[in-house]
Amino acid sequence: MKKEITFTLNKEKTIMEVDPQWTLLHLLREVLEMTGTKEGCGYGECGACTVIIDGEAVNSCLYPVMEVEGRSVMTIEGVALKDGSLDPIQQAFVDEGAVQCGFCIPGMIMSSKALLDKKDKPTEEEIKESIEGNLCRCTGYVKIVDAIKSVAGGR
Amino acid sequence: MKKFDLIGKDMKRVDTASKATGEALFSGDLILPRMLVGKVLRSPYPHARIISIDTSKAEKLPGVKAVITAKDMSGDKWGVFKYTQDQQFLPTEKVRYVGEEVAAVAAVDEDTALEALSLIDVQYEPLPAVFTVDDALAPNAPLIHDVYPSNINIHVKIDVGDVEKGFSESFLVREDTFTAPEDSYFQGEPYAVAAQFDNAGNLEIWMPNAGPHLKAKPLSNVLKIPLNKVRVRKITIGGAFGGRSEIAPADVICAFLARKAKRPVKIIYTREENTVATRQAHAMVTTIKTGVDKEGHVVARDITCRMDGGAYSSTGPIAVSVPFLCMEQAYRMENIRYNGYRILTNKPIRGMFRTHGRAFACGVDTQLDMLGAELGIDPLTMRLRNARQTGDYTPTKSFVASCGMTETIIRTGEQSGWKEKFGKLPPFHGIGIGTNSVQTGFPMGIRGGSQAFIKLNEDGGITVITGIVDNGQGNDNMIVQIAAEELGISPDDVQLISADTEVTPSDPGSYSMCETFIGGNAVRLAAQDVKMKLFKIAAGEFGVGEDELTARDRKIFVTSNPEKSMNIAKAVRIALSRNESISGEGSYWPNVDAKREWVKNPYGQLSETFSFGTVIVEVKVDPETGQVEVIEAWAAQDVGYALNPKVIEGQFEGGFAMGGQGGMLSEFHQWHEGRVLNPTHLGYMVPLAIDMPKINNIIVETIDPNGPYGAKEAGMSVAMSAAQAYSGAISNAIGVYLKDFPLTPDIILKAIEGKGKREQ
Repeated sequence: MKKEITFTLNKEKTIMEVDPQWTLLHLLREVLEMTGTKEGCGYGECGACTVIIDGEAVNSCLYPVMEVEGRSVMTIEGVALKDGSLDPIQQAFVDEGAVQCGFCIPGMIMSSKALLDKKDKPTEEEIKESIEGNLCRCTGYVKIVDAIKSVAGGR
Repeated sequence: MKKFDLIGKDMKRVDTASKATGEALFSGDLILPRMLVGKVLRSPYPHARIISIDTSKAEKLPGVKAVITAKDMSGDKWGVFKYTQDQQFLPTEKVRYVGEEVAAVAAVDEDTALEALSLIDVQYEPLPAVFTVDDALAPNAPLIHDVYPSNINIHVKIDVGDVEKGFSESFLVREDTFTAPEDSYFQGEPYAVAAQFDNAGNLEIWMPNAGPHLKAKPLSNVLKIPLNKVRVRKITIGGAFGGRSEIAPADVICAFLARKAKRPVKIIYTREENTVATRQAHAMVTTIKTGVDKEGHVVARDITCRMDGGAYSSTGPIAVSVPFLCMEQAYRMENIRYNGYRILTNKPIRGMFRTHGRAFACGVDTQLDMLGAELGIDPLTMRLRNARQTGDYTPTKSFVASCGMTETIIRTGEQSGWKEKFGKLPPFHGIGIGTNSVQTGFPMGIRGGSQAFIKLNEDGGITVITGIVDNGQGNDNMIVQIAAEELGISPDDVQLISADTEVTPSDPGSYSMCETFIGGNAVRLAAQDVKMKLFKIAAGEFGVGEDELTARDRKIFVTSNPEKSMNIAKAVRIALSRNESISGEGSYWPNVDAKREWVKNPYGQLSETFSFGTVIVEVKVDPETGQVEVIEAWAAQDVGYALNPKVIEGQFEGGFAMGGQGGMLSEFHQWHEGRVLNPTHLGYMVPLAIDMPKINNIIVETIDPNGPYGAKEAGMSVAMSAAQAYSGAISNAIGVYLKDFPLTPDIILKAIEGKGKREQ
């Protein structure tokens, strides 16, 4: 039995018929075809599916779709500015050489954006903790942390 | 050196903005009209005869559009080499590991596909299985393949000089055995394939790959269609690290499902499938005997390595050889014997991996430290005394055209304060060093060279067409950077068509660190070909010689009189109006010995050039918990010339994380009767952001005589030398040389305890 949910997706009011068994990730990738959010494991270990819900970074692969009712969801597709230019955190990832294969990057950006939206000048430890649930196999995390720091310092 | 506009600069990678917005599409992101979901049925047994497969119930399930088994295929066996053809993409007689493909379905959605799998009835007769090299070699062990007696799949034998004489003349000889379990890649992106046929029978297929042409040929063979009907398409690839080079059963299965269902099919592997059913890296037991003179120079070395290859050959002959070759490149040694055995077991298939086996490189280096300790020579000096030098030949007869090994040792030593620290640190505080070398390509038959085309447009922009693939390391950017530099245009003026077998010419693939050296040279030559054609036109217009011209800022001008200039666009328009070709072509074939063969003739030029590197790490070990804290690290590599320093730093850091932090401290698989008990990221314990120490990158440049702008490759050796440095540093901290990797807390605590007992 499908049910109707109403929520905000990337600042737009969205009404969807959903199967209550779905995860939010299923709705995003399979139904809405928003493939910027990645699935790297499907059980909340790798963080590639991270989205921001009411300001908090969460693994959308574990998030029951019915829980989205009334909430505000931001995905990687909603991060770039209205004129199409990159958000400062996206730009920092590009500028600092933090992107290699790129599979983990949407999730990394969502986790770090959630931190930066909450905290103007996070410490290096807070930065590392904000992405401890986002696994990257290419970079050794060094330039990713540099990228987040460069935005945090520039505020 | 000549000043460049783009080369040698921290250029922002052309592919990264679309990755940062989520727009870059990976194979699993593809959505094709009427696309079906493909799923694979896998063996629950490590070794069993297939008695029967009944798919009739699955076929009748509404929503199922195709079911395939071995009956749908020709039964041909695949192998990278003629003498290793032993794997059917769906087996007819036996399954040989838990997780091997048995049948597959394509259905309208995932639930239906999974239900269909449960309706396939496979009758097996379980057979005795072997899970370790020792069991596989036991006298009455079951044979996994009839064609490999004693389950010995590959034996590489190298014998140079007189090893026995060398030992007898040595001042000191040691023999030690080092072990390590298999490692896993854990690429960010789980394996995924999408395939469709058009009504003319042309296959379009997308998958992670380390060379689209390496995938296309076996697809052509098994599908019995010509190569020009196999279109491996370019797609963003989420990491390879040595894997993803060969054809995978998933590629073939997806294509067969799409052909049978007459609809597009996409298979996305679960994380468990990616771990078990793509490739793993070899577990190994390495026995090393080394003789040195009084000054620590290696006089003779004899290495025997037994590698657990899993159920099939895969890239076996290469995987058995490369760990040894890296070390024979890194260190001078005149009398050397190597016996490398790849033994088959009923475990997942093992292929090539970035660190080429922890027990090999770490064994050679740990033993060098042990020998040094007995002689009273510190590890850094031991390496300086044995370091490979420019102009040398390796034991297996490769000329070393450029070598910055000594410089990497000296600079890491200076920056880390080695002299002030080694032997002077407090208890449980240590420092260690590792050095290594990698290739920039191998002899690869007809696939050994790369070609590139460049097409000019009338607005002065270009399209580069090349088979070079980007697995995430930045090869796309390298192509754009080289082409734009040569033609004096902006990276924005360059369009790239790459890694697509319909239109791009042959290329070895990113396998073996050869893309910059071989593919990059081909792109450079193609750009120079175009430039010469443009110069010919401009020279005529200006009444000067072609060698008096420069291309820069989208213009061609007289070098001595830049006022005399024309836009490149104008030169193109002149060429068009005169019906003169201004397309460019470049081709590069590396200077390697085509007669060299991994097993039959392992001598001759292996690779045109080699890179060399050193890592030093400083650690603290908690004697109560066995936990290791890395205080700081220094990573150096001779990259030839740094085309894009920031990209190279990223390669160093990533290699350090995988080979050192993950590979030496935490990563290993647990098993029960051939079944992987920890197939997930956190079970396997890949490093997290909070685990990483401060890494100081030291780029050493030797300007290789034949690399593009002097470049070789960008940091591969760091993964291995980091592992070696961790091993040395932890041994140094606890005062016990460790021989079984990875160095998990229980191994470290046991070593500390054993040392305490001995001292009592």
